[in-house]
Amino acid sequence: MKLIIGGAYQGKREHAVKEYGVREEQIVTCAPDAMPDLSAPCLDRFEEFVFYCVTHGLSAREILEREEEKWRDSVIICREIFSGVVPVDVTVRAWREETGRVMTWLASRAERVTRMFCGIPQQLK
Amino acid sequence: MTFYISGGCKNGKSMLAQHLCRALAEGGPMYYVATMIPHDEEDVARIRRHIQDREGWGFRTIEQGRDLPACLERADRNGTFLLDSVTALLGNEMFPPEGFDPDCGEKVAADLTAFIRGVKNAVLVSDFIFSDAERYDEWTETYRRALARADRVALECDNVIEVCMGRRIVHKGELKL
Repeated sequence: MKLIIGGAYQGKREHAVKEYGVREEQIVTCAPDAMPDLSAPCLDRFEEFVFYCVTHGLSAREILEREEEKWRDSVIICREIFSGVVPVDVTVRAWREETGRVMTWLASRAERVTRMFCGIPQQLK
Repeated sequence: MTFYISGGCKNGKSMLAQHLCRALAEGGPMYYVATMIPHDEEDVARIRRHIQDREGWGFRTIEQGRDLPACLERADRNGTFLLDSVTALLGNEMFPPEGFDPDCGEKVAADLTAFIRGVKNAVLVSDFIFSDAERYDEWTETYRRALARADRVALECDNVIEVCMGRRIVHKGELKL
């Protein structure tokens, strides 16, 4: 699994296409209100999958561990949402923290971790 | 030589930019392109602080809140230009007194590109506002998207630096000071 992270609009999706040959139509964009198909070749907005889990009483980590063969060879794109002020809203606060924990664990499982900044990739792993 | 600098607020971007300009200018003229159009007391205080920080550095101030390349008609293109900041410039372009221009990201990117191509040395300062968990209203989100678009001018610059708590992360090129 290859992980691409970075702030909003920093060129993560373009990088998945350019670097890993992912085609636009293969990219599944996660939504806050639905469980994504974890077997997609590329999952974008992965933080929204975490949001779905947080708001539906599910553990993202448990789901990912149980279904590891589905995403083992995929490209996962996640928006870095862990900076900024601690959110006042309890759900957003839980989401932000859970995303940090899940992504730290995922990064440890990833072959490569790339962080995008102004369209420029930086290899973290 | 061109530099693009971004990072969190009050982390030392402006000071780094000033040092870079002095090194690049090699005694030649230095221009500070002042983009901020003050709207309240807080802005006035911020401008005062920036002016104090620049005092004695030898910058000539040229005010240009919009249509950036126009400032080059009032300056020596062989000089060294500090633009602080892309964020304020975009704000002026997107929220003019007469309304709201949601598509100005492309225009600002084109202006910035023309600007850096038209001068000997340029240091551009932006703000990194893309890594929080806030779900913004559509206006704010439009602004963030447009700033990210303008920030892609970094790809045209020789050097791209992220400043974090005064430390420097080189994303492209190099930083010798």
